Amino acid sequence: MNIIGPDTLVFGVDDVDACEEYLKDYGLESVGDGQFIALDGTSVIVAHKDDPSLPEPLASGSMLRKTIYGVADQATLDAIAAELDKDRTVKVLDNGSLEAQDDAGFVLGFQVTIRKPLSMPAEQINAPGASSMRGFNSLGVEKLATPKPRSLSHVVYFVPDFAKLEAFYSQRLGFVTTDRFSHVGPFMRPAGTHDHHTLFFIETPPHMQGCEHFTFHMAGPTEVVQAGTNMVNKGYQSFWGPGRHIMGSNWFWYFKSPFGCHIEYDADMDLHDEHWTAREMLPGADNSQTFLLEFREKWAPGGPPQQ
Amino acid sequence: MVLLCHIDDIPEGAAKGFDPLQEGRDSLFVVRQGATLYAYRDLCPHYGETALPWRKDGYLDGAGQHIVCASHGARFEIDTGLCISGPCRGQTLTGITLEVTATGQVLAHL
Ligand code: FES
Ligand SMILES: [Fe+2]
Repeated sequence: MNIIGPDTLVFGVDDVDACEEYLKDYGLESVGDGQFIALDGTSVIVAHKDDPSLPEPLASGSMLRKTIYGVADQATLDAIAAELDKDRTVKVLDNGSLEAQDDAGFVLGFQVTIRKPLSMPAEQINAPGASSMRGFNSLGVEKLATPKPRSLSHVVYFVPDFAKLEAFYSQRLGFVTTDRFSHVGPFMRPAGTHDHHTLFFIETPPHMQGCEHFTFHMAGPTEVVQAGTNMVNKGYQSFWGPGRHIMGSNWFWYFKSPFGCHIEYDADMDLHDEHWTAREMLPGADNSQTFLLEFREKWAPGGPPQQ
Repeated sequence: MVLLCHIDDIPEGAAKGFDPLQEGRDSLFVVRQGATLYAYRDLCPHYGETALPWRKDGYLDGAGQHIVCASHGARFEIDTGLCISGPCRGQTLTGITLEVTATGQVLAHL
């Protein structure tokens, strides 16, 4: 099934104003009706938790109400409808998208993707031995910049039974497991992307079921760190990072948020195809990052050396 | 005993974080309800090393009824620090004893 990845995450929140301000500060563009988009049109939608247009919440009260996947074409949509219709209710909404639940009760949507093709360079670097990538007189960094998230990258769920959900996403929707943490859960990618993961599960007690974090892709590590520094300077609280993950190789910086989950910036994730063999690692700090840095206020060695 | 602030620096019904040991991040917070102050270490019992708020001083829910950990939504009673819902239900925030002087200076026993 040619599912490309998440197009939109829909949240029902307590404090709409705080969430909207947060997403603007994060770098998404407000396009009205609570929708905030990245450069390729992927988005987050914010509504009040009592808004009747939202799907029912999970029993845990998680603020994530729906994950809407973009698929390649109408034929894929028809195939998903036929597959899921075998054992569950599949609604066709007014806009032609599908709505159904996965085997843990997460509400999913499927639509012909709204992603706009992007054509922009990744962060360019120069290195001895490599032909110059950035070119002469092209500067690597600006003192002040407000990098824009490019594309919705992945969502991570707390789930009561990862094996059951892994089976659902692989057997029913054609996702592939790229790597896994033992006893925790798999990293999965749908067939329509090479990204290391668009979905990851962390097994938890049932009362924690919900969204652990989501993230958008940035142009490179400099943008991750510069965007994150802007967040810190606005008073948002870092949760983890900046650093670089091992599985997926993505740079990360996670922030706490008023969405009841963490919100991340990521960049430079590995791409995989059918020749990749999934690895398995034990969970824990050692296998979660190759290094971990921490923010501190701007500083410089002061003055001339003391006599 | 460390001086944190004057009691009037904490608005009624609000919370405020403090970094009395200059660690570069807030290590404790104070919630004010009328003339009563409650203080706790800024560490969530769920992960043990995680501070609670999503934004500087954002320790309370929208209604100001509970202390909330933004990471996974644990909710705590303001007066006891007891976690009443979320992943660390039944565990308690670590309390800090405060002293308010006759002139309203707020001191913490660390
Ligand atoms: S770290 Fe506070 S609820 Fe998980
Ligand atoms: Fe992530």
